[in-house]
Amino acid sequence: MSKAKKIVSSKPFIMLVWVLVLVAIWEMGAANMEKTKRTPENVLPHVSQIVASVFSDKMVSNSQTATQIVWSSAEATLERAFIGFLFGTIFGFLMALLMKLSGLVEKTIFPYLMLIQMIPIIGMAPIILAITHDIGTSRIVIAAILTFYPVATNTLAGLNSVSKEKYELMYSYAASKWTIYRKVLIPSCIPYFFTGLKISAPMAITASILVDTLQGDGGLGCMLSQSLKHAMSIYVFWQIVFFSAFVGILSSVLMGVIEKRVSPHMRADRKRRKKV
Amino acid sequence: MSEMIKEREVEREVEIKIDDVCMSFKDNNSNDVQALNRINLAIKKGEFIALLGPSGCGKTTLLRTIADLLEPTSGKVRISGMTPKEIRLQQKFGIVFQNPVLFEWRTVKKNVELPLEIMYWSKVERKKQADRMLELVGLTKFADHYPKQLSGGMQQRVGIARAFGIKPNILLMDEPFSALDEFTKEKLHDDLLKIWRETNKTVIFVTHNIQEAVYLSDKVCVLSPHPGRLSAVVEIDLPRPRTIGMKDSIQFTELVAKVRNSFEGGSL
Amino acid sequence: MIKRKKNIFIRFFRNPKVQPFLSVILPVALGVLVFALWQTQILHKILGTDTFTLPLPSQINRIIGDNLPKIMLNVKATVLVAVIGLAIGSFIGYLIAVLATVFPRWGAGGLSIVAAFNAIPIVALAPVMTNWTKDVSSDASVRSMVAKVLVVMIVSIATMSVNAYRGLNNLPEFSLDLMKSYAAKKRVVFFKLRLPNSVPYIFTALRVGVPSSVISAIVSEYFAEYITGVGRQIRENIVIAQYATAWTYIAVACLIGISMYCILMMFEGILLRNRK
Repeated sequence: MSKAKKIVSSKPFIMLVWVLVLVAIWEMGAANMEKTKRTPENVLPHVSQIVASVFSDKMVSNSQTATQIVWSSAEATLERAFIGFLFGTIFGFLMALLMKLSGLVEKTIFPYLMLIQMIPIIGMAPIILAITHDIGTSRIVIAAILTFYPVATNTLAGLNSVSKEKYELMYSYAASKWTIYRKVLIPSCIPYFFTGLKISAPMAITASILVDTLQGDGGLGCMLSQSLKHAMSIYVFWQIVFFSAFVGILSSVLMGVIEKRVSPHMRADRKRRKKV
Repeated sequence: MSEMIKEREVEREVEIKIDDVCMSFKDNNSNDVQALNRINLAIKKGEFIALLGPSGCGKTTLLRTIADLLEPTSGKVRISGMTPKEIRLQQKFGIVFQNPVLFEWRTVKKNVELPLEIMYWSKVERKKQADRMLELVGLTKFADHYPKQLSGGMQQRVGIARAFGIKPNILLMDEPFSALDEFTKEKLHDDLLKIWRETNKTVIFVTHNIQEAVYLSDKVCVLSPHPGRLSAVVEIDLPRPRTIGMKDSIQFTELVAKVRNSFEGGSL
Repeated sequence: MIKRKKNIFIRFFRNPKVQPFLSVILPVALGVLVFALWQTQILHKILGTDTFTLPLPSQINRIIGDNLPKIMLNVKATVLVAVIGLAIGSFIGYLIAVLATVFPRWGAGGLSIVAAFNAIPIVALAPVMTNWTKDVSSDASVRSMVAKVLVVMIVSIATMSVNAYRGLNNLPEFSLDLMKSYAAKKRVVFFKLRLPNSVPYIFTALRVGVPSSVISAIVSEYFAEYITGVGRQIRENIVIAQYATAWTYIAVACLIGISMYCILMMFEGILLRNRK
C-alpha cells in the first residue's frame, strides 16, 4: 500500500472526514437560516462566526469577553463536577468491594442500584439544591450520585469476572483473603472500573451544568440560560454548547488515557495488534 | 491389587497415602452420584504418577481431594502423615490447570513471581528464582512480555514455571496439555520431564490421553467411570530419560495396549 | 468426618435453601427501613431538612390520590416523548449500525463519532432544539413535542448504534466462513446471521436506553416552550416552592422508568427465552 493510501484509510483520517461532513451539514443549515431568518445567530450561526466570537475581544458583559466568560464560569462548574466525580468514584468502588465481600450486602443493595438508575437525579437537582441550600454542594452531590451507579455496577461486574481457577490457584497457595483482593480481585476489576469512569465522567459534567441553570450564581449552565434569554451575546451560548460537548468527550477520552497509564499490559496488547 | 502396593511401600518412602476415599455428589435431581468409590493408592516420593481415564471417571475429583480443593465424603488422604489442608497451608502444592490461569496485568516474570510474593520471598530471591525457572522452560527472552502476547503453549510453560518455582513437594497437574496441539505437546512433554528430573518432585498428572500417560509417568493409575474406581495400576518400566523415539518401540506399544486393556467395562 | 461447628447465624445465612428468600427479604427490609425512617422524620434529621422540603411518603401518596387525572395527563406527555424518541432514535441507530457494517471502512470511523455523542451533555442540546423547531408548527404544543422527541432521539441513537454494531459484527467463530462455504449472498448473511445475532445486543442497548430516554425527556421538558410533562411539573412546582407536589412528580417519574423497564424485561424474556 502506498503511503498516501495508508493515510486515507487510517481511522483518524476517516473520523476527520466525518467531522468535516457534519460541519458541512451544519453550514448548509446555517446558510439556509441566513436567508430565511431575521436573527439567524439565534437558530444556527455559521461555524466561522462562532470561532470568530471565541477570538473576538468585544466585551459582552461587564468587562469580560465571551471567551473569558466561558472560561471563568467553566472553572466553577468543572471544579464541582470533578469533586463530585471523585466522591462518586470512591463510594462506587468501595460499595462494589463491600458487595463482593458480603453476599448479604450485595443481596440487600443490588436491586436498589438498578433503581438509582431510574430516579431522575438530574430532575431532582432543584430539590437537592433546596436541601443543601448551596449550589456548589448540590453540584457535588448530584455529580457524585450520577457517578456512583456506573462505577459501582461496572466494578462489581469486574470483581465477579475472576475465574474459578484463579481462586483455586490462590487457595492452593494458602493466600489470605486480603492477598486475594490485593493481587487478584482489584487488578482484575480495573478495566471494568474504567469502563464505569468513561461513562460517568461526562455525566458528572452534564449534571453540574444542569444544576447551574437553576440558580443565577455563575457556572456554565447559568451563563447558558442567561445568554438564551439575551442577557448577553448569544455567542456565549454557542460557545458553551461546543465547549461542553468538547469537555464531555475529552473527559471520557482522558479516562481512557489514564487507564492506559495505570495498566501497561493494555498498551502491550495494542502494540501486538498493530504488529499483526 | 492393594496387597501389591503394600508390598512396595516397604521398599521406598511413601509420600501420599489415599485410604478408602469415597466421594459422592448430589446431582440436579438430588440423586447421589458416586464420583469416587473406595480409592486406595500409595504414591512414593519423587514418583511421576498419571491418573488416566475417560471423562467422568473422577480423576480430576481425586486430584482435587489431594489438593484440598475437595473434601472426600469418606476415607482419608495423608501426605507425609499430614492432611492435605496442612500441606496446603505450608504452601507445598504446585498446581497447573488445563488453562494457564495467568494474570494478564502481570508480565511473564511477574506471573512466576506471584506465588513467591504471597510466600514472602525477598525481592532479590524472587527475581533470581523467576529467572531460573524461565530459563528452565526456555522463556528467558519473553520475561517482560505480557501473557496475551504469548502463544498457548508458551502460556502453559509459564504456568509450569510458576508451579515449579515455589519449590513444592507435590506437583498437581490437571490435564495441562489437553488444549495444545500435538507438536507443542510433545515439546512440552520433554520440557516437563527435564524439569522434573532436575527438581525431583512428586508429580500427579491427570490426563485422558493414553500415550501421554505412558510416555511421562512411572505408574499409570487407570480409573473407570460409574462409579469412579481405580481399575488398575500399570507400572511403566521404560528407561529414563525418555526420548521421543521410544514412542515407536515395541515396548511402548505393548504398554499402551496393556493400559488400554485394563479399563473395566471396555467402554473406551 | 467431624464438621466444624459454625456460628448458627452464619450457618443459617449460608444455607442454600435460605438464599433465594434472602434475596427478596433483605432488599424489602431495607426499603421498609428507609420508608420507616422517612415517615418518622428521622431521615429529615439525618439530612438536616424538614417536611416542607422533603415531604412524608404519606403526604406524597395523598397528593397522588388527589391529583390523579392531572398527573396522568403529564405522565402521558412524558411517556409519549420518551417512547417516540426512543423508538425513532433506536431505529436510526440500528440503521447507522447496518450502514457501518455494510461499509466497514467508513462506517467504523463514523460510528466513533456517533459514540462520542454519548459524552455530549444533553442539556446543551435541549435549548437548541427549541430554536430549531420554531417553524415546524404554529401550535406550541406540537413544536415543543418535536423538540423534546429530537433530544431523546439523539441520545438513543448513540446507545443503539454502538451496541447494534457489536451485535452485527461479534459473530460466532467461523460462522462467516460457514456462510461463505454455502456461497451465501451478503443479503442472506445479513438476514440469517447478522440480524438474529444482534437481537440480544438490541436489548442491551434498550436496557440503557429506556431509563436514559425517560430522563432525557424530563430534562428536555425543562427547556421546552410548552408547559407540560412530569419533568416540567417538577420544575414548575419547585419554582413556586410546592416541594410536596414536586416530590410527587419525582416519584411518578421513577415509576415511569421502572414500569417501562419492566415492560422491556418482559419483552426480552419472551423474545430471548430460547437463548440462555
